[in-house]
Amino acid sequence: MSDLDNAIAQLRACRPIPEAQVRELCHKARELLIEEGNVVTVNAPVTICGDIHGQFHDLMELFRVGGDVPDTNYLFMGDFVDRGFYSLESFLLLLCLKVRYPDRMTLIRGNHESRQITTVYGFYDECLRKYGSANVWRYCCDVFDYLALGAIVLGASNTLSPNSEAGSAAREAEEDTEIEVCNADGDIMSQFSRQEGGASRLLDPVGSALRPSATATNGIGGAADSSRNSGLGGAGAPSKTGSPGSGASGSSDGTVGNPAGAVLCVHGGLSPLIDMVDKIRLLDRKQEVPHEGAMCDLLWSDPDEIDGWGLSPRGAGFLFGADIVKVFNHRNDLSLIARAHQLVMEGFKEMFDASIVTVWSAPNYCYRCGNVAALLELSEDSSGLGILSRTNGDVNRSDGGVGGPRGVLMENDLAGLRSGPARRYRVFQAAPQDSRGMPAKKPVADYFL
Amino acid sequence: MEPPKTSPATATTSAAPPPPTFPKLEILDPSTPHRFLRPVKRINEGPDVARFLTSQAYRDIGIFVLQLNRSLCPRKPPHPLDASCRPPGISKALYGVTTFPTNSYLHGSAVPEPVVKLQRMLDTIEAIIDEAPPDPGPRRFGNASFRTWHRLLEERVDALLRQFLPAHVLEFGQTDRDEIPGDQDEGTETEESEAGPLDELRAYFLGGFGSAQRLDYGTGHELSFVAFLGCLWKLGYFKEMFSAADRPLDETERCIVLGVIEPYLKVVRRLILTYTLEPAGSHGVWGLDDHFFMPYIFGSAQLTRPITETEPMPVEGSLPYAPPPSTVATAAKADSHRAENMYFSAIGFINDVKTGPFWEHSPILFDISGIKDGWGKINKGMIKMYNAEVLSKFPVVQHFPFGSLFAWDADPNAAVPTTSVHMANQPIASAAAAAAPMGTSAPWAQATRMPGAAAGNTTTTPGIPYSQAPWAGGRSSAGPALPRGGAPGPVLVSDPSQMTPATFSRGTPGTASHQFAVTKAPWAKD
Repeated sequence: MSDLDNAIAQLRACRPIPEAQVRELCHKARELLIEEGNVVTVNAPVTICGDIHGQFHDLMELFRVGGDVPDTNYLFMGDFVDRGFYSLESFLLLLCLKVRYPDRMTLIRGNHESRQITTVYGFYDECLRKYGSANVWRYCCDVFDYLALGAIVLGASNTLSPNSEAGSAAREAEEDTEIEVCNADGDIMSQFSRQEGGASRLLDPVGSALRPSATATNGIGGAADSSRNSGLGGAGAPSKTGSPGSGASGSSDGTVGNPAGAVLCVHGGLSPLIDMVDKIRLLDRKQEVPHEGAMCDLLWSDPDEIDGWGLSPRGAGFLFGADIVKVFNHRNDLSLIARAHQLVMEGFKEMFDASIVTVWSAPNYCYRCGNVAALLELSEDSSGLGILSRTNGDVNRSDGGVGGPRGVLMENDLAGLRSGPARRYRVFQAAPQDSRGMPAKKPVADYFL
Repeated sequence: MEPPKTSPATATTSAAPPPPTFPKLEILDPSTPHRFLRPVKRINEGPDVARFLTSQAYRDIGIFVLQLNRSLCPRKPPHPLDASCRPPGISKALYGVTTFPTNSYLHGSAVPEPVVKLQRMLDTIEAIIDEAPPDPGPRRFGNASFRTWHRLLEERVDALLRQFLPAHVLEFGQTDRDEIPGDQDEGTETEESEAGPLDELRAYFLGGFGSAQRLDYGTGHELSFVAFLGCLWKLGYFKEMFSAADRPLDETERCIVLGVIEPYLKVVRRLILTYTLEPAGSHGVWGLDDHFFMPYIFGSAQLTRPITETEPMPVEGSLPYAPPPSTVATAAKADSHRAENMYFSAIGFINDVKTGPFWEHSPILFDISGIKDGWGKINKGMIKMYNAEVLSKFPVVQHFPFGSLFAWDADPNAAVPTTSVHMANQPIASAAAAAAPMGTSAPWAQATRMPGAAAGNTTTTPGIPYSQAPWAGGRSSAGPALPRGGAPGPVLVSDPSQMTPATFSRGTPGTASHQFAVTKAPWAKD
């Protein structure tokens, strides 16, 4: 086994690797990340994950539920560190996997991947406790500066792939299923199908539990915002006549070979300084997260039930309303924005007519929240139109350099909002705590020396 | 452990105590005119914290907390006891020692009237929960019905304070108002400038029950309630509680902690559970506790080595037969001490709300449970930690308002504050290890200088490093350059026509403003 594979094995066992090895790993990771653009292009199929916050055992549960690397492609939307007890092990494992399988693992930056935030919210303390010095923290922070700010997922299908995890009793995904929610064992909890006009129809009585009014009680899913049918086109007029995203419509969309429209992944949300995805590409990201400005906003903002922009109670970033998202998605030919950054008790929450979704992957957050976690699977479009390149550099990428950067931003595509890609959410709970060994030593904090 | 509460030997012993040699918060003379001020926020920027650390308010908070702390330390018998008189069942080590378990101060005829009044007031406040039941509907985390609860409290606070507090407090110094020098000249000022005791009491009292806007509760709120009690102390509310003749020394302070603060914590815990209040600025597992600090100070004091009335607070050692600190790490064992000790009461609450291994979800408390030098050591560390992690942190103290009782004015005797280190990105291991020799008020004064000149000392001792507040240098020092690709400066709205009154609302129910453990920018000012 290579050193890297050894490190992966050790980290999977939740044991930190030696400082020298961390240094080497971070160096390699930086070389890799420096070649990536601010907005990484990723091809479906991909599994999108939200905040981890050092909940290592729950990250292992996530891999169990979502499939292991490299069998499953993953995109993690930041906030690997802080608050949890195993930020170090969690981040280093993800980084090892990134270096080992660069095409199968995408990591983007969260607001916690920052020197200042980690000194306040725990990761710094954790590194000092585990290594006795801040060196490892410094190596990790140097990597943080090179993480991409966002990702564009291309080639996501508007039909779901068969649910390979599902038990024999589970139903096959129906042809027109837009949203499917599964539990940790792959059993389908509910399905939402497409209807003309992009609205969803509830197929499954179980799914009624997903309605926001009932989610608090069963804690399974938060799909299908109740305002879903209040579409953009006014009076609920269907914007398309054909199958959503197929291009078979009466309007002028569907001009590019990207059946479902691209999905933008970013940790926080939008910025008043960014109206086009291309503007993200122009930022100089290789620095500490600033207190304000576009880079800060992408990592700190939150969607909210307001019009336009609002001040964020966080003291950084902004609140943005449905109108902002819809205009942005339209202008950038996006079908969906996937973001993390906010706890949702049901693991995921679609808002604003499914134009944006929050994915949260830290179950029972901070050991007390009682929330479930989720991951979002986008399946590969098999229509043959989805062969698209990555633009995040060609280094070590088997499919790198296929074609040129795609024009994902079709300014003149004036059709209504694109329908979202088919989405499978897998919802899971905190890992059992059975056999976690207690540390033998109790280090003494400075105050108590 | 079951230490005897008060062994018979000391119950009747009331030898003339020596004059107290430990600082106590001043009790104002009601015959001297006093000018009250409506408390206002003064800490607006990171550097203001350094100014706060030299203020009279900071000094008074320190004196008051240390005074309360010392009162809980078990007491040795005032004079040697005849061992032959030791009753059966009382161990030699505890013979004549007086301890102060929590539950002995909550009820009963021994509880003095002023404390009973405050307990009744807390009961009344707690009962408001029944009028504002938690909203059963969908929500993210914090329950918006807490806003209803808080609004009802705000509406009733004046009536409550008037109902439960005596006239000599509410009208303190008011009769002689005209005689305040200079007051005549300012007689033409608007009514807003006329402040009374109620204005100061109200500000700290309301500040003690969480944030309605953010649906959170943290150590800043806890501090505010302690300041409320400090105001009452200064106004002489507690001074008549015991007649001088039969008053055990420091009994008043013990009544305040065990008879008022502990019941207050119980009310707050119920609020947290009822409305799922977010820990203000949670550090996750890397904070001492999600919400509280006081019970760890006072609870460790309850279990320290006994002292005489003239000895300073011990810095090591435990009460004989006290549960060892390691008890904390085992939920079942810890639970058995909840009723009698504030530290274990706090641990019990953590175990109520958190799942998972204790050492994982509360590693700092777990580490502290390994301390070998006893509860005295823990108590000393808690006080240093409180000073550094609560009183010296901008996000916590920025909300603390200043009036006449907790004054922003400089304390002429304050230690020269070391200039805060403007290290936005390089946390500095605390210099606490470089301990100075201790005087009577040493832990506090020493801790004051913690982020001090030795800050460059990069100690590599294992343990929890408590980093310098990165925002202490203020925004300018911490903010790297704006991204070159974006427009410079904060542009709030891309299209001014989109600006509506609602545009800048601070969030609506179900938004980021009341999420559990939502990350706030350390430089956020709200």
